[in-house]
Amino acid sequence: MAADATEHQLRIDPAGAPRATVLIVPPLFDEANRLRRTLVLAMRELAADGFAAVLPDLPGQNESLVPLDLVDLDRWQDALAKNADGIDGPILVASVRGGALIDHRPAASAWWRLAPVGGAPLLRTMLRGRVTADREAGIESSLDSLQADAQTATLLLAGNALSPAMVAQLGSAEPQPVAPLRSVGLGADGIAGTPLWLRAEPGEDAAMAGAIASDIAAWSKTCGIS
Amino acid sequence: MTDNATVDAILRALLADVLGLGERRAAALTDDSGLFGALPEFDSMAVATVLTEIEDRLGIIIDDDEIDGEIFETYGNLLAFSERKVAG
Repeated sequence: MAADATEHQLRIDPAGAPRATVLIVPPLFDEANRLRRTLVLAMRELAADGFAAVLPDLPGQNESLVPLDLVDLDRWQDALAKNADGIDGPILVASVRGGALIDHRPAASAWWRLAPVGGAPLLRTMLRGRVTADREAGIESSLDSLQADAQTATLLLAGNALSPAMVAQLGSAEPQPVAPLRSVGLGADGIAGTPLWLRAEPGEDAAMAGAIASDIAAWSKTCGIS
Repeated sequence: MTDNATVDAILRALLADVLGLGERRAAALTDDSGLFGALPEFDSMAVATVLTEIEDRLGIIIDDDEIDGEIFETYGNLLAFSERKVAG
């Protein structure tokens, strides 16, 4: 197994010593790509506000050299805990969407989640994308037939090679209890913006990034971190 | 119960979110507006995302065998399908 210590991470530091470090857990699979630009804009805002912000590459994702079919949610949870072990000072974990399924192991002072989602709908969407693409290619498949295949073989879903362990874990994964936690959605009571993680063509939203950063900073203050 | 005007509004907002149409283009969709095959953004993953979001936002479950190519041909077809599902 390749060492996860070799994974890259994007880290944006403030001008002086950081008040705290925000460990960003991105959404999973395609959704991470669609939101990345906006998340990094939020990291810049956090750094301007005195926080260090870290966005790690999960093993098998982004620039990682680890084959995706060798990883599962359990390994991602461990990798994030190790990311946190390498950070000095207080940590606030900020996760988005499926990131909330793997964000509970780090030793952190507080958690913040945006639009957390269970693993089942994420898996269902990827399975459906495969069924639709198969149909276009004249191949018969269904959610049931693909899930049966996934019990013994690696399944290619929307360009992601998912192992039987990954598919099984995704199918039943739910965000785990953590404390203290602020969980927000989009809209008037949460973050003003649109669900960029759903967009067929990636976009960006600087105002939403600003809203994300200020909500995280306010929660950090509420928790007495800084 | 979710009435038809609400289903229409939810569906337009959802397509705007997934396809990045913007409010103006989403509001301008008519029953005859083409979707899959007509909008370049509407690929197989977008179809899948739309289905999962319809389930989530309308509180319904859509089975595999209910879906055929026609549903995604036009906005009118997708709306009629969603209204039928909501009515149960």
